[in-house]
Amino acid sequence: MATEFHNLQELHHSASLATKVFIQRDYRDGTICKFQTKFPTELDSRIEKSLFEETLKTLNCYYAETEKIGGQSYLEGCLACATAYIIFLCMETPYEKILKKISMYIQEHNEKIYAPRGLLLTDPIERGMRVIEISIFEDSGSTSSSGSSPSSSTAQ
Amino acid sequence: MPVGLSVDGALGYPSPSRPFRPSRYVPVSAATAFLVGASTLFLCFTCPWLAERFSSSIPLYNVVVFLFTLANFSMATFMDPGIFPRAEEDEDKEDDFRAPLYKTVEVRGIQVRMKWCSTCRFYRPPRCSHCSVCDNCVEEFDHHCPWVNNCIGRRNYRYFFLFLLSLTIHIMNVFGFSLLYILHHTKHLDQVDSGVTMAVMCVSGLFFVPVAGLTGFHIVLVARGRTTNEQVTGKFRGGVNPFTHGCLKNIAHVLCGSQAPRYLGRLRKPHSVQVQPPFLRPPLSEAQLEAKAVDNGIQQSKSSLEIMESQSTDADPPPPPKPEHKYPGLPHTQNEAFFQSECSLLTEAPPTPSLYKYRPAYSSPGKNHTASTHSSKMSRGNSMTESPSVPVTTGQLSYRSDPSLSSRGGAGCRGGGEGGKAGSGGLGGASTFGGRSYPSFTDTLLQSAAASCSSSLRSAHTAHNALGPLISEGTTSTSYKSLANQTRNGSLSYESLLTHSESPEFESAAHELSPPRPHPPHSLSTAAGAPPISGYTSPFLSAQQREGSLQACPAPLRPSPNRAFLRPTSSPPSRAPPLSPRARSLGSPPPGPAPGHTPLGKSLSYGGGAELQHRPSSSGGGTPMPNSTIKQNVANHNTPSHKPVGGVKKVTGVGGTTYGISV
Repeated sequence: MATEFHNLQELHHSASLATKVFIQRDYRDGTICKFQTKFPTELDSRIEKSLFEETLKTLNCYYAETEKIGGQSYLEGCLACATAYIIFLCMETPYEKILKKISMYIQEHNEKIYAPRGLLLTDPIERGMRVIEISIFEDSGSTSSSGSSPSSSTAQ
Repeated sequence: MPVGLSVDGALGYPSPSRPFRPSRYVPVSAATAFLVGASTLFLCFTCPWLAERFSSSIPLYNVVVFLFTLANFSMATFMDPGIFPRAEEDEDKEDDFRAPLYKTVEVRGIQVRMKWCSTCRFYRPPRCSHCSVCDNCVEEFDHHCPWVNNCIGRRNYRYFFLFLLSLTIHIMNVFGFSLLYILHHTKHLDQVDSGVTMAVMCVSGLFFVPVAGLTGFHIVLVARGRTTNEQVTGKFRGGVNPFTHGCLKNIAHVLCGSQAPRYLGRLRKPHSVQVQPPFLRPPLSEAQLEAKAVDNGIQQSKSSLEIMESQSTDADPPPPPKPEHKYPGLPHTQNEAFFQSECSLLTEAPPTPSLYKYRPAYSSPGKNHTASTHSSKMSRGNSMTESPSVPVTTGQLSYRSDPSLSSRGGAGCRGGGEGGKAGSGGLGGASTFGGRSYPSFTDTLLQSAAASCSSSLRSAHTAHNALGPLISEGTTSTSYKSLANQTRNGSLSYESLLTHSESPEFESAAHELSPPRPHPPHSLSTAAGAPPISGYTSPFLSAQQREGSLQACPAPLRPSPNRAFLRPTSSPPSRAPPLSPRARSLGSPPPGPAPGHTPLGKSLSYGGGAELQHRPSSSGGGTPMPNSTIKQNVANHNTPSHKPVGGVKKVTGVGGTTYGISV
């Protein structure tokens, strides 16, 4: 990736938060945790639609896994009852384990995919699982110099 | 339980600290005392004999049940019920001024309203409710239980339910075994053991009835998949509960579901990711490039319109930013489509083209289309002007905030659409909605809201005739007159509405704007004196502007009889829109606005009135309303408290709608 112009401003390499996009929950299937996969228009010029949708789909899969009612959750409940819920102090619930996985996933994607594009995903758990907050950063040095807006020649 | 504490031991950020109220702790202390005290006494005084007489497994069983009850009681008391953290500032920066009070989402095919929580600053997810005691929004809010001094929500409902079950069983055990003891010690009742056992028996017998009743109630709730909140508010009384998965699955969800995580008090990992330019950009496809080129052109016209608007609304705060990213994923069109799509997010049907027929006077017909692209302002304004029934449907409060013109319009659209779904009286919202520029409109809203709960925003157009009769005398002619005065000046009524939207301002504005008027409108003063309708004041309006607008709009909301108003939206008489919805609201379709009409003459840039007046002379079609009817109605429907002053003629449409036409 080569920038055609080299400005003094460019050398500052500072990014400023321009705006935030909020991906809302998709309640069509009830109160299960699921986020809308609609591609927000603000990200149109920032990230490829496929990448974004893949991220969201993966997140939705993780969340669906947390809310599964199966053998594991039943076992967790019985164990908790049997120990008068003291087990919660010692052990991590399966839900929490998956949340940790999600957190790792988001961080990884932030590092590899989103930050290079000037975006930042916020873990929805910090917002009470209501929204996925995507911060859009602008190159604060780009406004002063023409053509310095970095357009990557590499397509991802 | 002190606010913010959870069993996980984390101090959360649920709400600012509240004053310490010891009275909150009385029920929970009493419950704890009774439970622990009575059980301990039972175990100490009665159980030894039971172990000796029958088997030692009886006390063991009682101990286990007691511990289980206590554990569930503790969990229900100390566990975070699923409190949502307050939304951050940037999440709602646009919602504050232009967003509706309700958002509708479809949950498994059923429309569910999400209400804006002014305390927590977000739209409450379905099944979420704000607890006034705890001052928090709680996920899947069941109720606030004073006996555990905690909200019961998603995270701790299971423990609460198990607590009730186990407590019922425990009470039955204690009562039963105490009875057994007493029956075997009838000759030794003067002993301490017997006395204590009798006391324990009385206490347990006393508590059995309410506890068992509550347990039975919750068993039914669990089986039905409802929360207490939903049950007592009758949310799904006649309809389908979208949150139920069938009896067995509901029970499984409550008892076997995984423990939900808490939202508060989580360790926030600082963002270790560095965001530094240069940034990668995705390559634009050809289609995108083309769209951009087109987009730029339209953007220009939009921005110029914006400038125009901001100039005309200098008395108002600067227009809020565009709401595009309020609805992520929405097609970013600048035309009616945006308005349509935006509304469709909230409602089902797209707006009819007639919405744009009643563009404000200042925008020329040629600009209509482009003006409407500025959806945040124009189109919504149009929607408001469209028909009185638009937001009416259920009187949903469309806007939380003191609406600017844009919000008004949007409110109209959204309010109507959502109102159509919900059907309950959010009349307070209507007041806000109408507070700024369309007070009479609000009034119509109220009337229609009261009457028709099921009409949707879109169907409102077709329901005008039905709604006509519903538009009652509750409307005040105050705002109408003010608006009429404003239009008489020849100024853009749209503009005027923006400038003098609040009723107090209306009254002053009316005086300002209509110096030539010989008599200041009486209705204004009377309206000013009218007490605000408290019932219409939404408690969820937090911004002062909204409060002000609510207060500012008591007059139109006040059900003063025989006060009619026409849609305050003014369309230039020179324009010849059918004005059908408005006219229909009068009970008669417009014959076609006489091009020769001037606002001055009719004071009805609200086309309906003008049409009414000129109907006999016009050759336009539509339901004929004989002149005699008009005159008769004028005579009949004169408000006692308001006499036609200064050339205001009262005209009544079909269904009793009265319109004051300033002559």
